[in-house]
Amino acid sequence: MVPSFYLYFALALPALLALATLLRLSPAAQLRLLAFGTAGVALGALPAVIRVWAGCDEIVAAQGWLRLDALGALHVLLLLAVFVPAAVYARRYFGVEIAAGEFSAGAARRFAALWFGALAMMLLVLLANNLGIMWVGVEATTLLTAFLICTHRTAGSLEAMWKYLLMCSVGVAVAFMGILLIAAATRHTGMPATSALLWTNLMATQGKLDPALVKAGFLFLVVGFGTKAGLAPMHNWLPDAHSQAPSPVSAVFSGCLLNSALYCILRCLPLAEGVSGNTGWARGVLVALGLLSMLVAAGLLLAQRDLKRLLAYSSVEHIGVMALGVGLGGLGAFAAMLHMLGHALAKPLGFFCAGTIGQAYGTHDLRRIGGVVRQAPPWGIGLVLSLLALIGMAPGVLFLSELLVLKAAVEQQAWWTVGLYLAALAVAFIAVLRRAIALGWDSSAPPPERPSAAAAGADAWLLTILPLVLLSVLGLLLPMGLAELLLRAAMIVGGAL
Amino acid sequence: MNHILDTLLVILLLSCFLLLGTSRLAAAVRMTAVQGFMIGLLPLAIEGGEIRLRVAILAALIAVLKAGVFPWLLMRTVRSAGTTHEERPLVGYGLSTLLGVAAVGAAFWLDSRLPFSAEAHSKLVVPVAFSVMASGLFLMVARRTAICQVLGYLTLENGIYIFGLAIVSGIPMLVELGVLMDMFVAVFVMGIAIFRISREFDHIDAAQLTSLKG
Repeated sequence: MVPSFYLYFALALPALLALATLLRLSPAAQLRLLAFGTAGVALGALPAVIRVWAGCDEIVAAQGWLRLDALGALHVLLLLAVFVPAAVYARRYFGVEIAAGEFSAGAARRFAALWFGALAMMLLVLLANNLGIMWVGVEATTLLTAFLICTHRTAGSLEAMWKYLLMCSVGVAVAFMGILLIAAATRHTGMPATSALLWTNLMATQGKLDPALVKAGFLFLVVGFGTKAGLAPMHNWLPDAHSQAPSPVSAVFSGCLLNSALYCILRCLPLAEGVSGNTGWARGVLVALGLLSMLVAAGLLLAQRDLKRLLAYSSVEHIGVMALGVGLGGLGAFAAMLHMLGHALAKPLGFFCAGTIGQAYGTHDLRRIGGVVRQAPPWGIGLVLSLLALIGMAPGVLFLSELLVLKAAVEQQAWWTVGLYLAALAVAFIAVLRRAIALGWDSSAPPPERPSAAAAGADAWLLTILPLVLLSVLGLLLPMGLAELLLRAAMIVGGAL
Repeated sequence: MNHILDTLLVILLLSCFLLLGTSRLAAAVRMTAVQGFMIGLLPLAIEGGEIRLRVAILAALIAVLKAGVFPWLLMRTVRSAGTTHEERPLVGYGLSTLLGVAAVGAAFWLDSRLPFSAEAHSKLVVPVAFSVMASGLFLMVARRTAICQVLGYLTLENGIYIFGLAIVSGIPMLVELGVLMDMFVAVFVMGIAIFRISREFDHIDAAQLTSLKG
């Protein structure tokens, strides 16, 4: 088969499934379609990913407008690793609500259609080679996911949705200014306007680009896409959206949406670095924002009383670690890719468990939940262990990646960075550990109102144990093949084509 | 042909002042419709004599969407939300207009420090783009009704579009269409969002949406 076919197929499948959800199905059937359909999308996209993973440098389609390289393949892989479990979990999560009569057929149809639409657009972001199309995809994900936040129509979720919609729309509009500036920078390269915004062309002609315009454009892009990625100080929408959205959506937000925005910044980073003569100017911007995000998040983690907001601020912290790692470059970029992998395994798990425990207790208030290890076995254990993994407890992928980021900073003798990084990690560690212990073993809290919601079943054990096993095994023993993919992705961020 | 371009740009600037100075939501929506129509004509005015089919199609599409479809959707939202006026804006209308004028001055100053105007089709394009963007952002911050915030967003997008016309010789058709599609979905989604908010809260005062903190 022609490899380019794989890319068309990967994009078309979720779009078709979005149409299929418009059929009049019962809520339960809609959720089945969601789970099997998402798994189908994964199967459809895997051949392309595996081909690139197996050593093919790039797959190109649509005259170079679609392109998958190692960086894209890694992101697609992580996207699928979040979406598939989230869709499986959605069956369980909304199943509880269907049983309580709180989830109508209309709500289910809307949810499934938007879910597949968002999936298609996120894939488009990762497969697009044209910066303009990438932007279109990011803006479309904002618009499509907005109503996923207010699946439950409460005052809080509407407020969170509006904040998300406006902040991210304006942010992404700012990013468009950046793309215009980069397009303006190509005027002396002699490229025709139709192909000037292709990432591969920009990288190939970086010597002829106007450095001042590219630098200005990069700043706009970082602020714009950084808003969507949840980098401080543009992160205000994030805790509200993550905490008000139903848990499967929170998992997708944290594991994919933030990463796909960060991915756009990663694409522009080597460009800005190359044009400004590899002085580390562009990477410095990311180091500063990464550290700021970590510090802000660590401070706010201390004050959290809501389980899902705790997880949301932890996402700000982890996006900060990724930005910092990429900003340090070299080993740091590799560590950032590894960190992305670990975060994509641990954070959705955290949101799944928090969602089910929230349903069982009828609240996400940390003061009213306790002793979950005994009260709700697989979910409680999953929650506590995912929180421990997220603060970098050994053995775990996140422990390894945070250690490697530290090593990269020490090697560059960036002592201020090292100091601030360690301080933020320590504060976040204490803030979350304190909560995790109380959550797991505090027996003074009242028992769950609706214990049946957190019933253990085969799917519950699979959803919680599998990511935990992967997290600890990969943290101890990273397979060569996977390390190689991470390394190739890191090298693209570092400027290799 | 440059006269036409300059005239359009001046009308755009005036529409921003009117937008900043009105409290009536319906009038504000109409103002953005005028703005959208001018935006549609801009690429034609820049082309001058011979107009390529591609540009003509895009211009028509932009005019239909921004001067027809978007205002229609927003008018429906205004009616369904049952709010006709912006009440208690965070910054008064007189002061808003004055700030708008100040923004134009700042835009000209900023333009004189930047290299964009040298290759633009008119000396006015870049300063007008900056002023329109500034008015859009200002509306989003200084108005409390959700509708005005959406109008601010549209104005901001218009400003960015004018800026793009000034500094980029051509954006691929596919990208332009994608951007327009996104804009359409944005207005649509925001309209539904406002409708739901107005039903849930009995108002569309976005400044009162403050229960989520910390």
